[in-house]
Amino acid sequence: MDILKKSFKKSIWVFHLSTAACNNCDIEVLELLTPKYDVERFGIKLVGSPRHADALLVCGSVNAHAKPRFLEVYRQTPKPCLVVAFGSCGCSSGIFRDSYSIVGPVDKVLKEEDPDAKIVYIPGCPPKPEAMIEGIIKGLEAI
Amino acid sequence: MKLLIYYLIFPGFLFASVVGLLTVWLDRKVSARVQWRYGPPWYQGFADIGKLLYKEVIVPEEAFGSGFIAAPLFGLASVTLAITILCISFFGISEGFIGDIIVVWYLLAIPAIALIYIGSVSGNPLSSVGVSREIKLLLSYDLPMVIVIVMLASKAGSFSINGIMEWQRINGSNISNWYGIIAFIVAIFCIQAKLGRIPFDLAEAETELGSGILLELSGGVLAAYELSKAMMLFGLPMFLIILFWGKGIIGGILMYLLIVVLLILIKNTNPRVRIDHAMKYFWGWMSGAAILAAILAHLGA
Amino acid sequence: MSNKKNEKVMKDLKKKLKNKIIDIAQPREKRIYISVEPEKTPEVVEYLFYKYRCKLCTATGIDMREGIEIIYHLAKEDKNMVINVKTLIPYSKLEIESIGKKIKAFRWIEREINEMLGVTFRGHPDMRRLILADSFPEGKYPLRKSFKNSDVTDEDYDYERSGI
Repeated sequence: MDILKKSFKKSIWVFHLSTAACNNCDIEVLELLTPKYDVERFGIKLVGSPRHADALLVCGSVNAHAKPRFLEVYRQTPKPCLVVAFGSCGCSSGIFRDSYSIVGPVDKVLKEEDPDAKIVYIPGCPPKPEAMIEGIIKGLEAI
Repeated sequence: MKLLIYYLIFPGFLFASVVGLLTVWLDRKVSARVQWRYGPPWYQGFADIGKLLYKEVIVPEEAFGSGFIAAPLFGLASVTLAITILCISFFGISEGFIGDIIVVWYLLAIPAIALIYIGSVSGNPLSSVGVSREIKLLLSYDLPMVIVIVMLASKAGSFSINGIMEWQRINGSNISNWYGIIAFIVAIFCIQAKLGRIPFDLAEAETELGSGILLELSGGVLAAYELSKAMMLFGLPMFLIILFWGKGIIGGILMYLLIVVLLILIKNTNPRVRIDHAMKYFWGWMSGAAILAAILAHLGA
Repeated sequence: MSNKKNEKVMKDLKKKLKNKIIDIAQPREKRIYISVEPEKTPEVVEYLFYKYRCKLCTATGIDMREGIEIIYHLAKEDKNMVINVKTLIPYSKLEIESIGKKIKAFRWIEREINEMLGVTFRGHPDMRRLILADSFPEGKYPLRKSFKNSDVTDEDYDYERSGI
């Protein structure tokens, strides 16, 4: 089982989930696959279905519309999985903190469903690609 | 007992999966280099399979559970059997039997049928769209390839793999004649469609259907599917080597690399086609080219 | 040259709508403001939409101290003008006849004014939530001046209504 756990760190498949985001962080995620910050050399690739994913990249802070759907996608992802709270809106709610329809940042919503979910925080608005790569590698070391 | 060793170790499951996963790495590395990036390291294929075995398997409520898990294993077993039959004759381990080339081609069609089955029992409407596309694609690329196989077998005078290879040792490889070149081009496109790669990946895994047929697979079931896909990437170029080169092992390895690089370059330079374009392409141009090659072969060019 | 065309519009409207409106003004060359009572608004807007061939741009609602003021912005494209129809609805009776039951273009904007400001549109065929979540509590209107963000807490959200 040890070798299987080691190979988990060498190939992470990422699913990109956008909950009430301004789309700035979504564009920055696609930048990681471009030749300058090539992230496929770590074994990371974007997949199209949450059932194939090892890491959920959550952009934006969670809306009242998005909360039941976000928890449903989290339940559909096979465990063990990593949740990445991306950007200032994901870590705390950023400038939308007191708004009437933001229910909470990602960790507050997720702790209701699963108290020991593994969450990685990457701050920035939007985060620089170097910060994203460092955050992902730190998250891999913690598994 | 000897058959079990042939099936499981060499040239069966173990050998084919190792070479297949290394070929998958070669594909991703060359694609990355073409796009001016670095690519993944050499153990990436093995890491993917190991990671998928570490995760849990989720079977959705509307799916038919036992068929869901059994179908990819069935596809894996039939690909292994097809590769065993091919490589036994190629490496000269023992004699084959008459008609084994047709058996191999239709054993290689079973993974596609397993894929259709998985898509139908998944219980997801996106999967059923993928299923209808896969059925149409399966009917399209079969026709030109069967014309090519029957033409080459009747030219060699026998329907067994050993017979075709013997004929090519005596009379020169099939690819060194005009009919051979045209048939080779037809065969390259047919196996690109069979492997489900761009430009013909509209059924399997695509971003417009959220991964299409494979939407509900997870964990070990997905590992079985990925492994069978990697082994097909080893088995289908071997099939072409036997049909078109057929002589020795050193030349066979060079020809294998040539075919794999051609498949990679076709994948990187083309967009995805629509299903009606694909059907017109295979039943129109490719079948016409295969019939032209058959006429040239009959006239002796 | 264009000034003459626009004055013709103003005179035309004054003559045709004389006893239905309170006031009509043209502060700039391409803008006309018509003030109407809430009961007469549907007739004026329908007259402008059908007979005068204007198109709906949007409708805005704003919370004044005496009530809620709704402005319908209608564009007259051949003369290059925007005609604005204003009504002030008092807080004591926050109702107005819906234009959406006859003209489809007005339906969505009336849904939004209803859920954000609390104005009732009588006879609207399809009054559902447009931009707020289905789980948002009833009776709270975010765009009123008396609304504070601390009025809605996490416990007020009712996720049973969101349909998952």
